[in-house]
Amino acid sequence: MRDRFQSRDRIYEVSLERQGEAYRAVVDGQAFDLELIDSQAGVLTVRFNGRPAIIYYAPDGSSLWLSQGGCTYRMDKPSQRRNPSTGEAGGGQAVHSPMPAQVRAVQVGEGDVVEKGDTLLLLEAMKMEIRVKSPAAGRVKRLLVSNGQAVERDQILAEIGD
Amino acid sequence: MFKKILVANRGEIAVRILRACREMGIASVAVYSEADRRALHTRLADEAVFIGTAPADQSYLSIERILQAARQTGAEAVHPGYGFLSENAGFARAVKQAGLVFIGPPAEAIEAMGDKGAARQRMQSSGVPVVPGYQGPDDDATLVRKAAQIGFPLLVKAAAGGGGKGMRVVNEAGELEEAIAGARREAHHAFGDQRMILERYIPRARHIEMQVLADAHGNVLHLFERECSVQRRHQKIIEESPSPFIDEELRRRIAGSALLAARAVGYQNAGTVEFIVDPECREYYFLEMNTRLQVEHPVTELVAGLDLVQWQIRIAAGERLPFTQAELSQRGHAIECRLYAEDPANNFLPATGPLLRFVEPQGPGVRVDAGYTSGDAVTIHYDPLIAKVIAWSGDRPGAIAKMLAALRETVLLGLTHNGQFLQDVLGDPDFQAGQVWTTWVEDKFGDWQPPQCELPPEVLAAGALLRLQGQADASNAEPSGADPYSPWRNASSFRVGKGGV
Repeated sequence: MRDRFQSRDRIYEVSLERQGEAYRAVVDGQAFDLELIDSQAGVLTVRFNGRPAIIYYAPDGSSLWLSQGGCTYRMDKPSQRRNPSTGEAGGGQAVHSPMPAQVRAVQVGEGDVVEKGDTLLLLEAMKMEIRVKSPAAGRVKRLLVSNGQAVERDQILAEIGD
Repeated sequence: MFKKILVANRGEIAVRILRACREMGIASVAVYSEADRRALHTRLADEAVFIGTAPADQSYLSIERILQAARQTGAEAVHPGYGFLSENAGFARAVKQAGLVFIGPPAEAIEAMGDKGAARQRMQSSGVPVVPGYQGPDDDATLVRKAAQIGFPLLVKAAAGGGGKGMRVVNEAGELEEAIAGARREAHHAFGDQRMILERYIPRARHIEMQVLADAHGNVLHLFERECSVQRRHQKIIEESPSPFIDEELRRRIAGSALLAARAVGYQNAGTVEFIVDPECREYYFLEMNTRLQVEHPVTELVAGLDLVQWQIRIAAGERLPFTQAELSQRGHAIECRLYAEDPANNFLPATGPLLRFVEPQGPGVRVDAGYTSGDAVTIHYDPLIAKVIAWSGDRPGAIAKMLAALRETVLLGLTHNGQFLQDVLGDPDFQAGQVWTTWVEDKFGDWQPPQCELPPEVLAAGALLRLQGQADASNAEPSGADPYSPWRNASSFRVGKGGV
């Protein structure tokens, strides 16, 4: 079986081939012996080229979280993921929420002229105030949230245009 | 001794207090909000009472609902934990008026230390050194004038504040007015009080605090220091005891001031007097007193060999401290790391999400105080602290090594957290040499990014194996609400052990 994984911007090729009780794994062209020693819910114990490794995992939607040796990894099926920070929306520059939060105060109105770095609105989450600043000089083309509204991470809050 | 205690908190500290109750044979009552229906603390208590919706002011900050829960369950005493109502003198008073015992200091002591301006004045007149600064009428014009006298950089600080909320560092006069406005807004929101004080800002200052313990019979003792200079956004992330900075002489002086501070306000129960220490001249200044249990109390417990929560309960029940200052000592070295659901690569902004899998580290000398288990979720409503990992060893290098091993063993899947960041900080030569200050994290790790490590081949191979077995995709799971670890999920041809697929 051949498989492809994406982690951050890198795509990895992995193939697994059954060999008796074990597998032969080819990762980016390099071959390894893989033997499954034990499998519990959420934990695999394997022998990898003869060395034991305990790997914790949790599926999350279509991606897979894995942890081994103090490092956490997230593997996705390869796709072209959008990058929210540079997303253009409706011709303006979209301003995204950096985290799930509640809108505490909207400090601009549609049509207002703003400078780069001007505070557009204040968010609050976990007792913390977060200033959302304008990424560019221009005009507030659209304002998509109001006071008290709950917003998700990466949700578009406003659009700044010319 | 009390027969039943209500714990007016949530998360790891509620769990910590509930465990102390259990060990002492005291029945316990947890309270919980809508967001915490299945939270760990509700499962560990003997009884759990629903007190309201997720926003804290509708639940954990509602004095009325908490007292109602206490009445309804027949609790005799209330432990407030930290945060929420723990430093609310009105709450302490309301508990007393309801005929219950508040496990904490007298309301008057909370009040005396709660107002940072008044506390500064009181400490000054009691002979406790304070940072040069200003407290008094705080209209913007007065603050601007006083700031010019103190000089820059300075701190604008909420009089009612704590935990870095409503606080701004101002580097030059031009930034002052916006800083005051921002700090007022934050303070108003966090404490309902927007009065400000000013303090000189001491660069490269170290944060060193003294744990005190006082009974109702006039005994006031200290349990030595904790150093908490490793902070981000004024929030501590790594604490330790003893401090790698102070020597015996400075320890004795700071402890003396801490006892003076506690006595000056008639303190009882456990409290912490915070100081900042100027590393240049080795002078120390009173910062504030936290009139409650601290998040980082475990490092003191491990080094002093005392259970602070049990002593809080005993003191509240009127017991006398059975040891003297001379009988107390610091043994070995303890470090605490706070595991937060936050993104160190993105300004430490809190992260939320499910804890799909949480495996705590184990082993001799490793303690974990956690408020969550696998299957819980960190929401936007409360503090993003997931757990505290505490390591004890005979000396500081041993404690650091133990902590690093413990963090490498910790598994936290499903959300962004600071586990890798903590490992990088502990591994830093400055940290290992004890050369840190309160803005050291920002100065040194301001542009920290997770190591761009390649996925190791064994992890990739394991991922491929999981996909092969159909276990890599949550959409293969049963409809929502199902436990992703249920053995029924894996009812494929896959068998435990070396069996075939």
